[in-house]
Amino acid sequence: MVVSSDGQESGGAMEQVGDNIIHHVSNSDIHHPIFPLPHLFNIDMSVTKHVLMLWIVALTVGFVVILPIQRYVQQRRLIPTGLMNVLEIVVSFVRDTIVKPNVGPKWVNSWAPLILTFLFFIFFANAIGMIPIFDVLGLVNRFVFHVPADDSHNFINGLLHGGPTVTGNFNVTAALAIITFLSIIIAGTKAHGFIQHWKNLVPHGLPGFVYIILIPIEIIGMLVKPFALTMRLAANMTGGHIALLAILSFMAIFADMFHSVSAGLGVALISVPLAAAISGLEIIIIIVQAYVFTLLSAVFIGMAINVHH
Amino acid sequence: MEVLHYFGAAIGLGLIVVGAGLGIGRLAAAAADGIARQPEATDKITGAVNLPLFLLEGVAILAEVFVLLIVLMK
Repeated sequence: MVVSSDGQESGGAMEQVGDNIIHHVSNSDIHHPIFPLPHLFNIDMSVTKHVLMLWIVALTVGFVVILPIQRYVQQRRLIPTGLMNVLEIVVSFVRDTIVKPNVGPKWVNSWAPLILTFLFFIFFANAIGMIPIFDVLGLVNRFVFHVPADDSHNFINGLLHGGPTVTGNFNVTAALAIITFLSIIIAGTKAHGFIQHWKNLVPHGLPGFVYIILIPIEIIGMLVKPFALTMRLAANMTGGHIALLAILSFMAIFADMFHSVSAGLGVALISVPLAAAISGLEIIIIIVQAYVFTLLSAVFIGMAINVHH
Repeated sequence: MEVLHYFGAAIGLGLIVVGAGLGIGRLAAAAADGIARQPEATDKITGAVNLPLFLLEGVAILAEVFVLLIVLMK
């Protein structure tokens, strides 16, 4: 990969490896955007790597999920074919085992679409992050296009160095968690009315001094829920990629430490299979994290609707 | 003294792993016990185990993020 070839070129591989890993998992520089766009309301609208990946994810979800479902709904025949079979299994699984037990039978159809959107978006964002699109582009660039590395305004160089997972960016997951946060409030408001929803946060009928402790705790708890959702998803995605890159970087580190290429090749015999195994683990984590986010969103929404006090 | 935060981060990471491992281990042991006693309740037990498992995992991940911040921010 890019990391190991960079590390072997000069001394101080340890420093370079750390920088390379962080560079790999973080967003590209806003001052060297992929598509420069003008400022809007004092916000720089330029497209960086993660924004481009968001668009790719959105297009993929559109083509793989939305279009087949639209086509299926419009046709007369009610027998699903091809991709619709898988989608129908997923949709009925999410509705019956995630949303219905938590939100309750009355509100299933109001909240299942949101939960399904979360599931599909997060799953595709995670999964596309595991496909090394831009690393393959770097390989093609090296042997076919021959764009020099110091040309920082080139389109391809803007894309290189990084197989970004959009859900590994804390801003993206924070946006998703804010949607959950607002839907918790909306769900409580729709089920119990605005005032009653906020009253439901604390159990009633307790002695007065308990409320002095309880109300701050409940407010903190309300804010911690989306924060934990943000951190869980982003940290899992970032952590997996960092672990993969660190294990692959052992090649560069060992080759630098013993000043020989064969030491790096020897370590590669261990670290490449290990990285492949961790990639397999990552594929499980991709599915589990998409499931966890949707499950927890459903649980939190359900907690606002079915208050047990 | 300027490398001290690395020690703190490493020890913290170890403690996180110990804590999360103990917690997940207890959950898994209890779930396996319950399923062995009542195999027909497997679905219910799995469902009940999942949520605390994910919440526990979230706490561990949060702690790992803070450890990473200790190293990166110094």
